[in-house]
Amino acid sequence: MTTLSHAPASSRPIPNPKKSLITKLNMGTGIVVGVIFCWGTYFAMKAGRDMTDSHNVNKVLLMSMFAWSIGFLIGIGAFIGPFRWLIGKDLTDEEQLYLAVDGQGWKRYFKYCTDHKVVGIQYLVGVMALLGVGGTMAMMIRTNLATPGSHFVTPVVYNSLVGLHGITMIVAMIIVATGPFGNYIMPIMIGAADMAFPRLNALSWWVLFTAVPVLCSAWFLGGIPTGWTAYAPLSDQAGPGMNAFVATIIIFAVSTAVAGMNITTTVVAMRAKGMKWNRVPIFVIGATISVALAIPAFPTFMVAMIQTGLDRTIATGFYDANVGGSGWLYANLFWIMGHPEVYVILIPGVAALMEIAPVFVRKPLFSYNAAIAGFAGIAGLSVLVWAHHMYMAGWMPSLNGPFMVTTEFISVPTGLLFLVLIGTLWRGRPWMKLPMLCVYAFIWNFLIGGITGIYLSDVPADNYLHGSMYVTAHFHYTLMGAALTGAIGGLAYWFPKMTGRMLNERGGYISFWFIQIGFNVLFLGMFIVGAEGQPRRVADYAHLYSHANLISTMGAYSVGIGMIILLWAIVHSWRSGKIAPMNPWGAKTLEWTVPYPVPLVNFDQPPVVTSDPYGYGRSAK
Amino acid sequence: METATPSKARTTIGALLAVVLGIVVVAGVGLTLHSVSADPQPKLYATKVGTITAADGKTYNHYTIADGVYPDPINSKAHGNCATCDGGHPSWPSYGPYTDFVLPANSYITVTLTVYDSGEKLNTPYFGSVVGTVDGTVSYDGVAKTSLPPDGVEHTFTLHGLPTSTQDPLFVNVPLPVNTDAEMKAYNADPTKLPVGHKVVFSFLTHGAGNYVWNCEYPCGDSTYQGFGAVMGQLGYMSGKVSVVNG
Amino acid sequence: MADHESELLAPTPGARVSTFLKRKDVSQTLLLWVFFTAVFVVLGLWAYPKWMPVVLSKQMQANEDIMIWFTVISAPIAGVVLSIAAKSFLNMHRGDTPPEDGVAIRTNGPVVIVWTATSVLFCIVAIVWGLVALNTESIAAATDAPKSLIVDVTGSQWVWSFYYPQQNIHTHTLNLPVNQPVTFNVMSADVNHSFWPVQLGVKIDANRLVTTVAHADPTATGPLDVKCAELCGLYHAYMETSGAVESPTDFNNWVSSIQATGGVQQ
Ligand code: HEM
Ligand SMILES: [Cu+2]
Ligand SMILES: [Cu+2]
Ligand SMILES: [Cu+2]
Repeated sequence: MTTLSHAPASSRPIPNPKKSLITKLNMGTGIVVGVIFCWGTYFAMKAGRDMTDSHNVNKVLLMSMFAWSIGFLIGIGAFIGPFRWLIGKDLTDEEQLYLAVDGQGWKRYFKYCTDHKVVGIQYLVGVMALLGVGGTMAMMIRTNLATPGSHFVTPVVYNSLVGLHGITMIVAMIIVATGPFGNYIMPIMIGAADMAFPRLNALSWWVLFTAVPVLCSAWFLGGIPTGWTAYAPLSDQAGPGMNAFVATIIIFAVSTAVAGMNITTTVVAMRAKGMKWNRVPIFVIGATISVALAIPAFPTFMVAMIQTGLDRTIATGFYDANVGGSGWLYANLFWIMGHPEVYVILIPGVAALMEIAPVFVRKPLFSYNAAIAGFAGIAGLSVLVWAHHMYMAGWMPSLNGPFMVTTEFISVPTGLLFLVLIGTLWRGRPWMKLPMLCVYAFIWNFLIGGITGIYLSDVPADNYLHGSMYVTAHFHYTLMGAALTGAIGGLAYWFPKMTGRMLNERGGYISFWFIQIGFNVLFLGMFIVGAEGQPRRVADYAHLYSHANLISTMGAYSVGIGMIILLWAIVHSWRSGKIAPMNPWGAKTLEWTVPYPVPLVNFDQPPVVTSDPYGYGRSAK
Repeated sequence: METATPSKARTTIGALLAVVLGIVVVAGVGLTLHSVSADPQPKLYATKVGTITAADGKTYNHYTIADGVYPDPINSKAHGNCATCDGGHPSWPSYGPYTDFVLPANSYITVTLTVYDSGEKLNTPYFGSVVGTVDGTVSYDGVAKTSLPPDGVEHTFTLHGLPTSTQDPLFVNVPLPVNTDAEMKAYNADPTKLPVGHKVVFSFLTHGAGNYVWNCEYPCGDSTYQGFGAVMGQLGYMSGKVSVVNG
Repeated sequence: MADHESELLAPTPGARVSTFLKRKDVSQTLLLWVFFTAVFVVLGLWAYPKWMPVVLSKQMQANEDIMIWFTVISAPIAGVVLSIAAKSFLNMHRGDTPPEDGVAIRTNGPVVIVWTATSVLFCIVAIVWGLVALNTESIAAATDAPKSLIVDVTGSQWVWSFYYPQQNIHTHTLNLPVNQPVTFNVMSADVNHSFWPVQLGVKIDANRLVTTVAHADPTATGPLDVKCAELCGLYHAYMETSGAVESPTDFNNWVSSIQATGGVQQ
C-alpha cells in the first residue's frame, strides 16, 4: 500500500484515473446493487419453500438482509481493492488518491472515501439521523405512557417501540463520539496524516450504513417483542421483525471490529514525533480504551445473535430448553458484551469533557494519571461484572456475592473520573461556553447515575429494583445524561474545526436548558415510579403511577424540543454560522494548529510534540 | 461578524419555524403510527336481556354476548373482508367476528361461544380448569363441567387485568372443547365447510368499571417456540380487550 | 491570588491546613458541601420510605434500608463533588475571550490518595453491607425451609398461576399467612418471566424446565401485587395479579373455601 506524501497540495499530482471503475461508483450504485441482491435472494429463496413455516420465513429474510449489505458494498466499490489483491495487483496510486482527495466537493460524502475527515462527517450525520429516529420513538413511548390504558398505540407496537428505540440509541451512542470525533479529530490530535487503514475506515462507515435500512425494516416486518436485549427464548418465538434485529447486530459487529482495529492501530503506531504516551491527549486515550474494549465485546454479541439466527432458521435449539438449550446461555453471552458496552459508550464522552475542561478553566487537567487509571480500571473491571444483570435470573445464585464485589469496585475508578473533573474545576474560573456547561451537566447527571448504580449492584436492593423503571431511569442517567451530554459537549467544542464555523451560541444555550431540565424531570419521574414498583417495558400501568408518569412525559417533550433546537442550531450554524478562527478556544492540542478546511494530509510539516497539551495556568510554585 | 450573517430577527424566526417543523414532523410520525396501530377491531357491546338473581341472592342486570372461535381468520370475519388476511396468514385461528368487548359494570354477563377449531394440549394444565364463572361451571353443549382435560382443549378464554387501586380484580378462565379430527374432516378438505361446532355458555359477574384484557392459553402459534409466536403475538386473533363501563 | 500565596507560605502542615480552611473560597465550598450533603441525606430518609410500597416482609425491609442508608452514606461524597462543581460554576467567566489562566495544579498526591482511599472505604462498606444482607438471607432461607409454606409458581404467557402442594389448591391470586416463611418454586411454561411479589421485595426469573427458588418472610399483613419483571411478549404489561398477606385464620379460611370448590380458586 502506498501512503500519501506529505507534499503540499499544490505540488501533489492531480488524480486522473479516468477509465477506472472507481470513479463511477457511489452510494447510488451501492443501493442499486444492494437492492438487486436483496430482492434476487428473496425471490430465489422463496421459490418452493413453505412460507407458512416461520423457520423458512426467517431463512429467506435473514439471507436477503445479508445480501443487501454485501450487494451494497460491492456496488460502492468496497471490494475492488481486495479483488485486485486476489489477482496480485492493487489500486493504482492515482485511484488511491482519487478515493481520498479533497477535490471532489460534496460528492465524496457519498463515495467510498478514505479521507478520515470525510468519514468523520459521515459518522456525524449518521449519528444525528439515528438519534433523531431513536428520539422520535422515545416521544412515542412517552406519549403512550402519559396516561394509563395504552391508548396511543397497541401493546404490539409499544413493545417494538421500546426495543427499537433501545437498539437504535445504543448503536447511535456507541459511535456518537468515536465515530465523528474519533475519525475526524483524533488523527489530527495525534499529528497523523490519516488513519492507519484508510480503506478500512471507509469500510467501517459503509458497513454501518448498510445496517440502518436493515434495522428500520423491523418496523415493516411486524416489529420486535423482545426489547433491545433480545432475550431468548422470546427471540426464538418472535415474528419476522426479529430477523432484522439479528442481521443488524451481526453487520454492526463487523463495523465496530473494523473501526476498533483501525483506531487502536492509528493511536499506537501513528502518533507524531515526541508524542510519548504521557503526552497523548486524554480524549485519545479514552477513545482508544473504549474501542479496545469493544473489540472483544462485540464478537460475543455477534455469536449470541448468530445462535439466535440458527435457532430461528434451522431450529438448532441453543436457547430452547425443550431440546437441552438454555436461555441463560444467551443472557451470559449478551451481558459479556452488554456491560463492557456501557463503558464503550461512556468513556469517550467523559474523555471528551476531560479534554474540554482544562481549556475552559484554563488550568491543567488535574492528575492525568488518575484519569488514565480511571479509564483503565473501569475497562479492566467491566469485563468481570456481567452477571450483575442476572442476579435474579436464578442462573447461579452462589455467584451473586462475587459479582457484587467486582461491580461495587467499579465505583473506585469511576470515582477517579470525578476527581479529575472536580480537581480541574477547583479554584478555576470557567469560561462558561456550551462545552463547559456540558461538563457541569455531566457531573450532576453522572453522579445520580453512579449512585443509583450502587444500589442496583447490591443484590438485596436489586431484588426489588431489577426489571423496574428504576433501572431504566438509572441507565438513562448514565447513557444519556452522561455520555450523550459528553458527546454534545464534544460537538460544541469541535464544531469549529469540523465545519469551519462556530455553533450558534444562543441556540446552544436554549437547547441545553431544555434538554437538561427536561431530562431531569423525565427521569426523576421514572425513578419515582420505579421505586413505587412499576416494571419496565410495560405498555400499561396501574393508576397509582399516573402522576409521575405524566410528569415524565412532560419532561420528555421538553427534551424533544431541546433536541430540535439543537438540530436547528447545528444546521443553521453549519450553513451560515460565524466563521471560526483557527483556534477559537485557545486550546493547546494539535487539531487547533491546522486551518479549516483541513488539508488532505492534515499537516504541511509533520508536527513535533514537546509537552502534553495541558500547560495552562500560572505556575503553582 | 465577518460574513453575511443573517440578522438576529431572521435567525430567531428561522429557529422558531424549525422547532415548529420539528414538532410537526414528530407529531406526524406519531399520528401515523397511532392510526396504523389503532385497534382496528370492532367492539361488541353486551345486550341487555332482563334481570337475574344470582347465587349470592342479589339481583343483577343480565347481559349477553355471543362470539365464535374459528380455525382461520376468513371464517372468523374478525378482520374485515379477509381474502388475503394480514399478509396471508390464512392458517391463523381467530376469535370472531369480535375480539374487543364492552360490558356494563356490576352486571351478570352470559357469554356464548361457538367453537369450530381443533386443538390438543395446553402448555399449562391449570388453564384446563374453569375459573371465575358464577357457579364454577361452564355449559358445553348443554353439559355443565368444571374442567376439561388439559390435553383436550381447543383454545381458552382467559380474562385478566392489572390490579389497581381504582379497578376491581376480574379473572375468568374458560377452556374450550376441541372439534375432533372426524368433525374437522370436511373443513380440512374445503375450508368453507366449517364443522357444526360446539356451544359453550358461561356467566360471570362484573364489578366496578375497569380495563381488562383476555388472551388464549392454548399454544396455537404453530411452529414457534412453545406455540406462542405468530398468531399469539398479535392482537385481534387470540387476544383482545374487555372494557367494563358504568351505566 | 493572595490566598494562594499565603497557602504556600505557611510553615507547618498544621498551619497550612488552618490557613487553607480560612480561605474564602474554601469556606464557601464547605458551606455548599453542608448544603448538598444535607439535601441528599434528607432525600434518602424522606423519599424512599415515601415512594417504596408498604413493607410486608423482612426482605423488603432490607431493601428499603439499603436504599435509605446508601443514600445517606454517599451523601457526603456526592456533597464534595457537587460543592466543588457549584463553587466553580458560581465563579464563572462570561464573554468572548477566555479568562486569564488559573493556578497550574497538575496533581496533588495526598488528595488523590485520600480520595481513592475514601472511595475504597465506601465501596467496602457497601460490599460488606450487601454480603451480610445476602448471607443473613440465605441462612434464613436454609433454617426456615422445613417450616416454610410452599408455593409452586408458574408463569405462562401472560398469566401467573399458583399451586400450594401442602394444601393441594390451585389459585390465581397469591395469599400468604403472616409470620410464616414461604418458599416459591418458580417455573415457566414458555419464555422467561420474572416473578415479583412487589411488597415482599423478592424476585426470581421463571425459566422453562428449570425450577428457581425464592424465599420470603412476611412480617405484616396487607395487599400484595404480583407482577412480571421480565419482558415476555405481547401482554407482559398485563401479567399481573393480586393477593394478600393475611392473618393465619384468614389464610386458613381462604384455603378451606378453595378446597370446598374442588381445589381450584374461583
Ligand atoms: C429523549 C430522550 C429519551 C427518552 C424520552 C427516552 C425514554 C425511554 C423510555 C420511556 C424507555 C422505556 C422504558 C421502559 O419501559 O423500560 C426507554 C428505553 C430505553 N432507552 Fe431511552 N429515552 C431517551 C433517550 C435515550 C438515549 C440517548 C439512550 C442512549 C443509549 C437510550 C437508551 C435506551 C435503552 C437502551 C432503553 C431500553 C430498551 C429496552 O428496554 O429494551 N434512550 N427510553
Ligand atoms: Cu452491567
Ligand atoms: Cu388460541
Ligand atoms: Cu412478563
